[in-house]
Amino acid sequence: MQDTILKIEHVSKFYPGVTALNDVSFEIKKGEVHALCGENGAGKSTLIKCIMGVEHQDQGTITMNYNGEWITNSSAVESQAHGVFANYQSVTIAPDLSIAENYFLGCQPKKNGLVDWRRMAEESQRVIDKFEMKVDPRAKIRELTIAMQAMVTISKISINDDIRLVILDEPTALLENDKVEILFRFVRELKERGVSVIYISHRLEEVIEICDTVTILKDGTYVNTLPVSEVDKDKLIAMMVGRPMSDIYNIEHFKPGEELLRVENFSDSSHFRDISFTLHRGEILGFVGLVGAGRSEIMRAVTGVEKRLTGDVYINGKKTQIRNPSDALRHGIGFLTEDRKADGCALGLSIKKNINMSSLDMISKLGFVNLRKEAKRAAEFSRDVNVKTPSIEQLVGNLSGGNQQKVVIAKLLCRDPDILIFDEPTVGIDVGAKQEIYKLIERLTAQGRGVILISSYLPEVMGLSDRLIVMAQGKITAEFDSEALKTLTEEEVLRKASIEQ
Amino acid sequence: MTNDRKVKSPGMISQVLKRTEFTLGVIIVALFMLAATFTKNFTSTYNLTNLTKQGAIVGVMAVAQTIVIITGGIDISGGAVAGLGCMVMALLQTRTGTPFVLTILACLAVTVLCGFINGVIIFDLNVPAMIATLGTQTVIRGIVKLLCGGLNVTYTDSRILNIGTGKLFGTVPYLALIWLLVAVIIFIILRYTVFGRNLYVIGSGIEVAKLSGIKVRKMFYMVYSFAGLLYGVAAIMLAARVGMAQPGTGEGYDMNAIAAAVIGGASLAGGRGAVTGTLFGTVLMVLITNAGTAFKIDPYILDVTTGVLIIFAVAMDMIKTRRKA
Repeated sequence: MQDTILKIEHVSKFYPGVTALNDVSFEIKKGEVHALCGENGAGKSTLIKCIMGVEHQDQGTITMNYNGEWITNSSAVESQAHGVFANYQSVTIAPDLSIAENYFLGCQPKKNGLVDWRRMAEESQRVIDKFEMKVDPRAKIRELTIAMQAMVTISKISINDDIRLVILDEPTALLENDKVEILFRFVRELKERGVSVIYISHRLEEVIEICDTVTILKDGTYVNTLPVSEVDKDKLIAMMVGRPMSDIYNIEHFKPGEELLRVENFSDSSHFRDISFTLHRGEILGFVGLVGAGRSEIMRAVTGVEKRLTGDVYINGKKTQIRNPSDALRHGIGFLTEDRKADGCALGLSIKKNINMSSLDMISKLGFVNLRKEAKRAAEFSRDVNVKTPSIEQLVGNLSGGNQQKVVIAKLLCRDPDILIFDEPTVGIDVGAKQEIYKLIERLTAQGRGVILISSYLPEVMGLSDRLIVMAQGKITAEFDSEALKTLTEEEVLRKASIEQ
Repeated sequence: MTNDRKVKSPGMISQVLKRTEFTLGVIIVALFMLAATFTKNFTSTYNLTNLTKQGAIVGVMAVAQTIVIITGGIDISGGAVAGLGCMVMALLQTRTGTPFVLTILACLAVTVLCGFINGVIIFDLNVPAMIATLGTQTVIRGIVKLLCGGLNVTYTDSRILNIGTGKLFGTVPYLALIWLLVAVIIFIILRYTVFGRNLYVIGSGIEVAKLSGIKVRKMFYMVYSFAGLLYGVAAIMLAARVGMAQPGTGEGYDMNAIAAAVIGGASLAGGRGAVTGTLFGTVLMVLITNAGTAFKIDPYILDVTTGVLIIFAVAMDMIKTRRKA
């Protein structure tokens, strides 16, 4: 007989014009890993904010069993005092402080009233070892990769002594497979200690692997709570989107045409060495590798965002100088970076301005922008990629992740590029929007463009690519053509991706 | 995961009501009416002319400040740069007898150069704008004093003074006209040109701008040089109004200019700001001093009021953005 640790009863939350949660009720048992599934906009984030006490529901109650007493947490501080922790990313880590300082933010160990730096370093090291992070506890967060930052927010939770309920919101969105294993080990350890875990992920395979129970939300309403043993991926998707979905990676493939892009002997000082590859018209070329394999760094060098030491780029067979992103755009390369919030879109500007941002020269004369053309193009391209918005004047910061991503893609398409490089295009966006992006990739290749797809999510990149390049520690370790891809297993890819050099 | 906000396309009227310019406009009109009704001489030609003249110099510098602030920067060297421009002009005119037009061109060249140097220090040496311009401000103030030996230099050419006292058709002071002209030009640049639009992108994030193919380095040089050019214009206006170059000419103007831009809705975080807002912000600041004097309010209290207004304007703005976030 399991005790209940959290009771959510008739919870509703309204934002201007939106019902984020509508009469949601369910319970979390002690020591269970409880998945929360639903598309973007289903209300998952709002619900966990209410549980943490960061936001307050307009109706209903959320109560927690604290040593037999039913209490309500009305702020994040209260929640944490009662053993409730979450891995909010941007909120909980200070980029200019070290890992150790972030671990002990607000609860620094003291000796004689002064911060005990030695103990802090020792305990931080212990956590870093436990999560196999291989970093210096004194390293500043800013200097870490995004994946490592995500690991910090997760591992930070284990610093606390009294943990009762842990909320993991998309913990694996930025993690590589090996790190996911470490995360799972942590979740299982929590479970054994009787800690409850609320687990939110778009990756349903994970939900099925690690969770005991799953609750499905759709458009702010409660759909069902089931033991995970009774569901499979298709059933979950059907409940989440309200319609059955077969294989979402099933897109039409085309016969690759002539060579579009050839990269030869690319090396930089530390991230990658001697990289050569080609991309053809109508082709989807996948890149996989673990964190630090250098995939993104290569693309940043190809597009002139970062410097390289050696190597040449040929576009349509002609040697081409690309010294900066502006050169790349002019030569028909569109680059969708992995961190759309940091360098993809301007959150404070409108959809219209974002879409036209890198092609103003195409709609201006003598430096003057043709405002009519600007609005027309924005409307056209946002419709083309299906941005869901009432108006192109809407600020991009107000859109969901999937729609933000579509705006960035629309921005790239404005220049009509032949080559598109998509770095983690579906991180943190829901199933529906993911499928739209896959369909878009299909359409782009149908038009004879070439697409380079980087993804840490193996089913996605293996399912979509015509050809797959595997990298490990800055070098290409394997390449699979479409024939080989048909029989390729994830294990094989992982083996190639973890070759030591 | 954020919810897509389902917003109705806002109507014209509600959009106008929400704008900073509207709020400022209401306050300005109210203040104007109050002063016109309850004090003597406020609406006299003399006072109104004076009002526009007071506003003109800060106004031009505030416009310069606005374009810098939109990129997420700040420039506190404006007053010093204008002071240097003034001094260069005065020295050339009195000591070397350089032709009038050349002295003006020299002034502009010097101020543009100062702005360009700011751009280099901020972009290439990666010094935060606040510190970089604090540095150049101090250096330039030193240079001005070295040039003049700490003494005032009085212009002997009456043409410069004519700019300060002259009026178009006997009604509109030239100074106000210059202010208006600068405002209109920058308004057009910000709204209709690629350069202007790119400033907002840079303010939203340098990485975003870079990846969108904007030549960020060139933009930094341009924006600070452009600000320098406007400080040069302000320098000519200062010379015209005061009739001499003093070691401290221009002091305090940069802070008032920043305040006017911020009251007008420019965000120091970058990405937001408009000439219209700055224009209203400038008018409001000048009006408070002028109307306050008409009401015979202690000028020290007026300083306090302006300070409170600055804090209030930014706080209101923060509350608004927080609600949106």
